[in-house]
Amino acid sequence: MKVEFWGQEFKVNMVIGCIGGFLIAVLASMFGFGGGPFMVPLMAVGLRLPMYLVVGSSLLAIFFNTTVSTMRHYQYGNFDLYFFLAMFPAAIIGGYIAPQIAKRVSPLMVKRVACVGLVLLALNLLGVY
Amino acid sequence: MNMRKGVVPWLLAAMVVLMGSSGVAVAEDAAATVAITIDKTVINDGGTIKVSGRAPAGKPVFLEVWATEHTVRASRFDSDLDKETNKRPYIFYLTEDMPAYYKIFVPKEMKAKIDEEKKLKGKWSYSKLLKEMGAGDAFSIPPKAKIDRYQSSLMASIIGSRGDQLPTMEDKDSRKRAMQLTKARFRSIDKVFGADIDLKPDGSFTAEIKIRDGLSPGKYNIVAVSDKKKSAPAVFENKIEFPLVYMDNAGTSLNIFYPFMLSLCVAIFGVLMGAGGGFIMNPLLLALFPALPHTIVAGTVTPTVLFSQGSGIYNYSKIKFINWKLGCAIGCAMLLGGFIGPKLTEMITLDQFKFAFGWILIILAALMAWQTTPGYLANNKKEQAILNEFKKRAQEAAKAKSAN
Repeated sequence: MKVEFWGQEFKVNMVIGCIGGFLIAVLASMFGFGGGPFMVPLMAVGLRLPMYLVVGSSLLAIFFNTTVSTMRHYQYGNFDLYFFLAMFPAAIIGGYIAPQIAKRVSPLMVKRVACVGLVLLALNLLGVY
Repeated sequence: MNMRKGVVPWLLAAMVVLMGSSGVAVAEDAAATVAITIDKTVINDGGTIKVSGRAPAGKPVFLEVWATEHTVRASRFDSDLDKETNKRPYIFYLTEDMPAYYKIFVPKEMKAKIDEEKKLKGKWSYSKLLKEMGAGDAFSIPPKAKIDRYQSSLMASIIGSRGDQLPTMEDKDSRKRAMQLTKARFRSIDKVFGADIDLKPDGSFTAEIKIRDGLSPGKYNIVAVSDKKKSAPAVFENKIEFPLVYMDNAGTSLNIFYPFMLSLCVAIFGVLMGAGGGFIMNPLLLALFPALPHTIVAGTVTPTVLFSQGSGIYNYSKIKFINWKLGCAIGCAMLLGGFIGPKLTEMITLDQFKFAFGWILIILAALMAWQTTPGYLANNKKEQAILNEFKKRAQEAAKAKSAN
């Protein structure tokens, strides 16, 4: 498939894109996360697209997935209203505060901290400690 | 004639009343052999209740305690190999009538049996324990639940349906499934069994029942069972107050500020590291609030992520930074995936959920680590420069347009 973006034309291998997207979507909806951090490398590395094309379009793609999985989770009765109401405003407030903080910290540092944090969480889930 | 017609119904009514009252008297007689009293009828978000009573001498006593006002869902996907037919049944069992709290208290002497079963870790068997302790008669509430069962198939899973509903089970089978569902819902032995009854040789007993915090509000029943006889239920009420809020689907009450603060921190950190909050939120919730079922966690975090994505798309679309064709094309493939995923959440157990999520996080951590390597950074610097250049142009274009 060919797509045009800001005056440039890109060739996209849709077979890789769709299969990869499908697999990420199954995992993302199953475990309840967005899937952005997997989608961006898939499109940037797997499909060889430049970053400026990937950031917006990957967000649009995972939005499809999250919408449907929200509906499905609701249908299966996995949704709890009070729990949602407790978390949702906080997520929005966080979205406003975060850019203010982002100006003051180095993204590299954040990523390194995140790395350690994720490994710790993973080990906790795997029952290592 | 008229007079007689008028008298006959009265006679009948009188007979019914007489029969009825004699029936009640008999029931009271039988119940009199097992009786309990409790020291208080109200507790605040958990507490200890002293139960004392008497039962036939020399017979074990069991206390069945359950929440009468709130029920929760329990489900189990049966894919264990059937020993007789050597086939995997792949049947999905589901009930909405499991009490939000259910526990059987047994005499202290049986603690050894419970401890032994604990050694099996996740593989302990509810039915085996019930049988070994002779507590089968005390297991009376979950078997009353209506259990639906569905025959799953690969095809049904793909289109995201639970499968064909099978006819209702016979009582004996239903009872067995109810035991499995009880275990599936409460998971740990300590939540469904407690060896706290102090039984004396003359048949009198006392027990200090600890009701844990974070449970459903409302009335609870305690019934003593001994030698196939049951006592009248003793009723107590569990009160919870704001900021504690009972979550109906999750079946637990929680201080509403905890998930709020957690979500706030995670949202900020998520934006900073460039990942949606879901990656950190889910495992943190599972680790911090073990009472929450994983289906509820996944199902409630998903819509929270949805809105941050929506606002992101809105911001990008304002400066025309989205390729709709590419996004929608891959989006369609992801649509299918999103249709199937939630079904699978329901079919796996918490342990499988944790295991898979653990590995996903490790992969994510590896991706993050790769993004901090010097080679990637050098490459990324150029990309970022181009990205910012394009963003600037896009913003200027959008501004110019709105100025016109």
